[in-house]
Amino acid sequence: MATVWEYLPYMLGGVIWTFGLVGGGLALGFGIGLPMGMGQVYGGKATKAPIHAYIWFFRSVPLLVLLFLFYWGIFPASGFKLDPLACSIVVLGLRSGAYQSQIFRGSVECVGDGQLMAARTLGMSKFKGIYHIVLPQALRIAIPGWANEYAIMLKDSAICFALGVLEILTRTRYVVMATMESLLPYLIAGVVFIILTYGGTKIINVIYERTKVSGLIWRM
Amino acid sequence: MSEKDVVLKAENIHKSYSGNNVLNGISFEVKRGETKIICGPSGSGKSTVLRCLNLLTRPDEGHVWLEGTEVTSASTDINKIRQKIGFVFQEFNLFNHFNALRNVSIGLEKVKGVKKDEAKKIALEQLARVGLQEHAHKYPAELSGGQKQRVAIARARAINPVIIFYDEPTSALDPQLIGEVLEVMKGLAKERVTSLVVTHEMGFAQSVGDEMLFMVDGRIVERGPPQELIMRCKYDVTKKFFESIQELYGREK
Repeated sequence: MATVWEYLPYMLGGVIWTFGLVGGGLALGFGIGLPMGMGQVYGGKATKAPIHAYIWFFRSVPLLVLLFLFYWGIFPASGFKLDPLACSIVVLGLRSGAYQSQIFRGSVECVGDGQLMAARTLGMSKFKGIYHIVLPQALRIAIPGWANEYAIMLKDSAICFALGVLEILTRTRYVVMATMESLLPYLIAGVVFIILTYGGTKIINVIYERTKVSGLIWRM
Repeated sequence: MSEKDVVLKAENIHKSYSGNNVLNGISFEVKRGETKIICGPSGSGKSTVLRCLNLLTRPDEGHVWLEGTEVTSASTDINKIRQKIGFVFQEFNLFNHFNALRNVSIGLEKVKGVKKDEAKKIALEQLARVGLQEHAHKYPAELSGGQKQRVAIARARAINPVIIFYDEPTSALDPQLIGEVLEVMKGLAKERVTSLVVTHEMGFAQSVGDEMLFMVDGRIVERGPPQELIMRCKYDVTKKFFESIQELYGREK
């Protein structure tokens, strides 16, 4: 019987899939969360109500339930055929969008009304003012919250083993079955997640430091 | 004085917030080259007047004209109007993520469509006029309050407005920083830059103000040359106000 170490390259191959899940999920979540966060600050009642309902739904239902609901329920019923990876990315993204919208809502509010007002007095349209003045500041403020979202999403991505996505945990389980050993494979999987969490948040922190505005302390 | 010399005209401005009347029919004119002072006790609606004039707050009733164009008309492009009105805030509101230079040039670039190099040149000139060319590359957080407000004045001036509004420009400053801002404002007033100034700085009002409007409860209750108004006000409320200010600042020389 092969040893666990011989399977190590196979297990580490799962990192690519995990990155796919996390990268795709974060990107989709950003695309959904940023406009929703802005909508919550600048939108009228008609904008805020559906956003609120969306956030409420995706924050209330467990991730595993969402995965099964979309993979076995909503997608087949609406005639889409998504493979497990694509479906997982979509679900992670939809859910992350709900959380990210709150990161961006908070950071836009933190920028304060005065900045947009000053932009308007120069003759900028609301859109230009938000684009040139509010967003660049809000995105900087959002980075630490976003690092947190990365760390959470990374660990949540392991749940996608339930759909058979070939990420780290799924492969670890195959190795466990093949070697009849549990301790070492799961230990390795744990260490891999620790490294990815540490490395990722470290990189995001570097970005945060690099984009910091000189001398400025945000009033968080 | 012909119609052409009236830069700004406000007629019967009313504004209320949830049933609370803040402005009860404000009317006045600002002529070209004039420095008009608005003062009055806290809560009298001074800042709301400024905000109603460039529609940062929309008045419930009344009309505003800027150089003959009706600001309050639904068909007027308010962004075009605001390019002609410089606005200086009590809290500076400099763009935190831009250095001083970019704070001044951004309006030229993104609103007026001036090329980047040209906008930079104009911004540097404007910063030089408020004595801050050496601080052009500093960020707002690296500047003192007085310097921030001077950058804000340069920013307001850069878009070449026909009038500048000042909303209590020195109220958020430490006493020793007020002087440098007032110096800049006095310089502009002496150059006959048309301005409308909400302030409690009576020394400034007396030395460069052409007319002072005194507001109480959303009404202009007295108006006249600042010196006269301060010395010979008709109403008790005005008298009390000036007395309390003199007590606070000491009698102005």
